[in-house]
Amino acid sequence: MTRSAVLSVVGAFVVFILFWQVVVIVSGFPPFILPAPGVVAMRLVRAWTDGTIQPHLATTLVEVALGFAVGAGLALIVGYALARSALVERLLSPYLVAAQATPILALAPLIALWFGPGLVGKVLICSLIVFFPMAVATMVGIRSVDARLLELGRSLRATRRQILTTLEIPAALPSILGGMRVGVTLAVVGAIVGEWAGAERGLGVLINLARGSLFDIPLMFATLLTIALVGIVLYLAVVLIERRLVGAR
Amino acid sequence: MTVHVGAGAIDIRGVDLSFPVRGGGTLPVLDRVDLAVPGGGIVALIGPNGCGKSTLLRVVAGLLRPDSGTVSLDGAPIDGPDPRVGLVFQEPRLLPWRSAADNITYPLELAGWSAERRRHRLAELTDLVALDERVVANRPAELSGGTRQRVALARALALQPEVLLLDEPFSALDALSRERFDLELLRLWERAATTIVLVTHSIAEAILVADRVVVLSARPGRVVADLPVALPRPRAIADLDAAVLTDTAREVRRHLGESTDSADSADSADGLESTT
Repeated sequence: MTRSAVLSVVGAFVVFILFWQVVVIVSGFPPFILPAPGVVAMRLVRAWTDGTIQPHLATTLVEVALGFAVGAGLALIVGYALARSALVERLLSPYLVAAQATPILALAPLIALWFGPGLVGKVLICSLIVFFPMAVATMVGIRSVDARLLELGRSLRATRRQILTTLEIPAALPSILGGMRVGVTLAVVGAIVGEWAGAERGLGVLINLARGSLFDIPLMFATLLTIALVGIVLYLAVVLIERRLVGAR
Repeated sequence: MTVHVGAGAIDIRGVDLSFPVRGGGTLPVLDRVDLAVPGGGIVALIGPNGCGKSTLLRVVAGLLRPDSGTVSLDGAPIDGPDPRVGLVFQEPRLLPWRSAADNITYPLELAGWSAERRRHRLAELTDLVALDERVVANRPAELSGGTRQRVALARALALQPEVLLLDEPFSALDALSRERFDLELLRLWERAATTIVLVTHSIAEAILVADRVVVLSARPGRVVADLPVALPRPRAIADLDAAVLTDTAREVRRHLGESTDSADSADSADGLESTT
């Protein structure tokens, strides 16, 4: 990033914090409705230093990682099949769209009921929410592969596997990575929703605790910030991978 | 000049081909095409737009299977893409995410060559098509149109094919570059010892490059004339002004006219464009 880009990012952040502080002062909301940014920042630091956040964060990260891996992995396979087979598309797309149209919030309690408060249910919810955008991105990417390049591959006697690895995947990569950007942030949403529906640990649980039994609203805000940070870091990681893989084209 | 005999002899016999049309029925594209190209010969295919020149080239490349008839190379039938045949398309068709060098060695990679052997062959190929070694590290998007087509040519030659099929390879280049590339192609032909079939729209290009100019009719494509070019080799741009050129060109035009007037006059105007 250039110097001016860094400055503008920092500047926007400062404006956001100032705006927050102004709202707190002007509105006169008590700290249990809207704590001031300074209070939240101090609570965040304390939650990290006294070890409140870490176990919850670790649980959520594991759920996100596994859920994303499973969901994205399946989406790559199904997205490829959707792109290359009209039959698969006809058979599967109604279910895919139906699954996507059903709010994950409505499904989460059912999944919690079936799989209990453990890891499996959360991974399932994450996978579900990641699946659709990744499958569509993969399908679009594979469909966009230039037919003339495929003909070139055929003229050079490329095997199916070689066509996949040397033509289809590289050509579809920008689209797939675009889907991943959406996918990783949704995976975080999925994990939190899953934890809300029933869990023992996780950042979603911590929000519930802070709001309920602890009644520690600054901690709730600190947890929200942590979740947002997780999303930002994962998103940036995908952007970096993207730069690495397709940036130089 | 080297004399090439034997390897790379193409024999096209009674090739018929039609494409299915949306909504049923078929569109005949090639009509009993017979054509023999001796090993090491250069034949130019010329004809109006949509006459099936490119289709015929794809049949020889094994990318399309004729409805009937046979294509054989040195007596062995072609029944699919063949390592003895190198193909250069109208557009360079480079993989945009690979460097020019990796594009050139792509066929070798597919054929399972080791990195060491690929590097060695790359040096030979860049030398053969006169590509600067420093340029090949670049991606296709950073190269000029002519350089890209040079890369495509090197890629087609990578596996040392006996036959080089060129589908209007220089049509996207300006007239001057085109003449230069035609002459370079001839120099390359002398070194690489391949049979060449060149599909072109340009009568001048056909005559400058080929031993014989084969004229195809409007769709469905059929051979209407097979005209020898009586110019000595090696050839130069100066040959373009020779009387032979004028005579041959007139002859080609006459056959093109015959073949297209009956079918579609708009097509014939198209086919004769860019012939001066």
